[in-house]
Amino acid sequence: MIKPDLMRLRIFQRAEFLSARDLLQRAGALSAMFLAVHLAGLREFTSVLNGTVGSVAAGWKVSGFLAIVYILLYLAFVILVPILILAAVILTIGKRWIRNEENPSAKPDTNF
Amino acid sequence: MNLKPSTHYNLNPLSARPLSPDRQQREVTGTNISRRFFRDKYPGGEQIDIRVKTRWKKILAGMAALTVATVFWLPCLHFLFLRPLSTFRQEEGISSQARQLAARHLQLWNDPVLREAELEKMRVSNAEWDFMGRSYLVWSLANMALRDPAAKPLYLRTMDQIIDETMRLEKQEGMYFFLMPYAKDFPYVMQPAHSLFLDGEIALMLATRRGVEEKPEYKPLLTERVNAMVERFRKSPKMLLESYPDQCWMFDHCVALDAIKMADYLDGSDHSALIRDWLAMAKRKLVDPKSGLLVSSFTTDGVAFDGPEGSTIWMVAHSLQLLDEDFARDQYQRARKELGAITLGFGYAHEWPKSWPGMPDIDSGPIIPVFDISAGSSGMAFIGAASFHDDNFLTSLAATLNFAAFPARSHGRLKYCASNQVGDAALLYATTLGPLWQKVKTGGKP
Repeated sequence: MIKPDLMRLRIFQRAEFLSARDLLQRAGALSAMFLAVHLAGLREFTSVLNGTVGSVAAGWKVSGFLAIVYILLYLAFVILVPILILAAVILTIGKRWIRNEENPSAKPDTNF
Repeated sequence: MNLKPSTHYNLNPLSARPLSPDRQQREVTGTNISRRFFRDKYPGGEQIDIRVKTRWKKILAGMAALTVATVFWLPCLHFLFLRPLSTFRQEEGISSQARQLAARHLQLWNDPVLREAELEKMRVSNAEWDFMGRSYLVWSLANMALRDPAAKPLYLRTMDQIIDETMRLEKQEGMYFFLMPYAKDFPYVMQPAHSLFLDGEIALMLATRRGVEEKPEYKPLLTERVNAMVERFRKSPKMLLESYPDQCWMFDHCVALDAIKMADYLDGSDHSALIRDWLAMAKRKLVDPKSGLLVSSFTTDGVAFDGPEGSTIWMVAHSLQLLDEDFARDQYQRARKELGAITLGFGYAHEWPKSWPGMPDIDSGPIIPVFDISAGSSGMAFIGAASFHDDNFLTSLAATLNFAAFPARSHGRLKYCASNQVGDAALLYATTLGPLWQKVKTGGKP
């Protein structure tokens, strides 16, 4: 019963929209998708950027589609994922700071 | 008015846990008049009001965090891809990137199956790329042989293999084998038909090979090709020779004149008057008055087809270094100003200056909108920046290469997936150029 066990982990539970955990979940999902297309070898198809077909057998349409998928996920991985992680860190720090301001004696809330 | 909530709600709508006493207190503190009104007027309004307001606050906080993170990350992004310039190009010796790129090309020329697959992909788009990939590789290997004498035998062997096979294909299949199909649409103005594109680059391949080390078999081949080009230059009323029917290219003229200059250096001939006259004509008739840049293509009468183009001008500026150093530098500086750009630490190049907009074609490659980035012009900009020691631009171009050209390394070999064989060969040339031009300009022993 691997699936229910995994689902019990908080990282897999649905988080509130734009909460720190939500941002981290999105970053994780994008990273996993990029890893999948990278391991599948879609990087080879990016030659369409200079007008060269990625694979003669696959043809222009398929090569172009796979290139677009790879490029979008790559850009998401190098641009969006760090932004999501940074935003999650900013939110967590901000939340703790506000809490400490309001109630210095309160215990740190890890339920972000 | 009683401000104390009757029940204690968890503000997370997905959770039914009761709130801690601390949090209850915080919620009460945040109550305002409109919230009170809403809560007092409608049964159950308090729950909805608190949830909606808190939810919006959290969303706004999340968006603010994303904005701050974006503002912080985008200017930092290029640091991920920035490498010391010495990894790309060195003044002496061979950089690590040049070695890895060369290793990949040497593998292609040792593995016919791999080479065939690579060339086939390029020939589907443009047969010229097959030819130009050979030229750039030979010119690169010539410079590498001068930079690394220990590896000279390997480089010379590969250069000879490429030259012999290219000339065999030209003889066997005819000149159209390396030209785009439209070359057959009309007859060439000057008969018998010759393409300066092929003659110039083959001549420069032969000359660079001999510039590294003499090969007697190549001497008559170079002399024959140079004499034929010189004769046609003299026969042409405007000194403009076709690469395609009634279509002449600045790139091809400069490469052909380099080959003639190299032949003078190697064999003691003297075509300096021809070169001088051609340059004077080009400065007079083939310069775009708005940008001051040489136009890229024109008819045999000197009427411009295209204006200045990045895919041409960077290499033209490099080629001119052998013919007229001051004019070469002037063209590079103008190209850098009109076409080069650095945004957030990433260098790139436009295909056209603002004064002469053009349409994307096989040379420009697809144009990335907003920034008007041309893959063709950006790739050739490496050659310009390396030739004129524009280290800042070259470093930022290399950062873009690492970011957006998708490098793939395997067993000490490097290729850029977003590029192709000719693109990688041009990059290899940018990492190695210098010693051969220097040898010719200083009049060193052939």
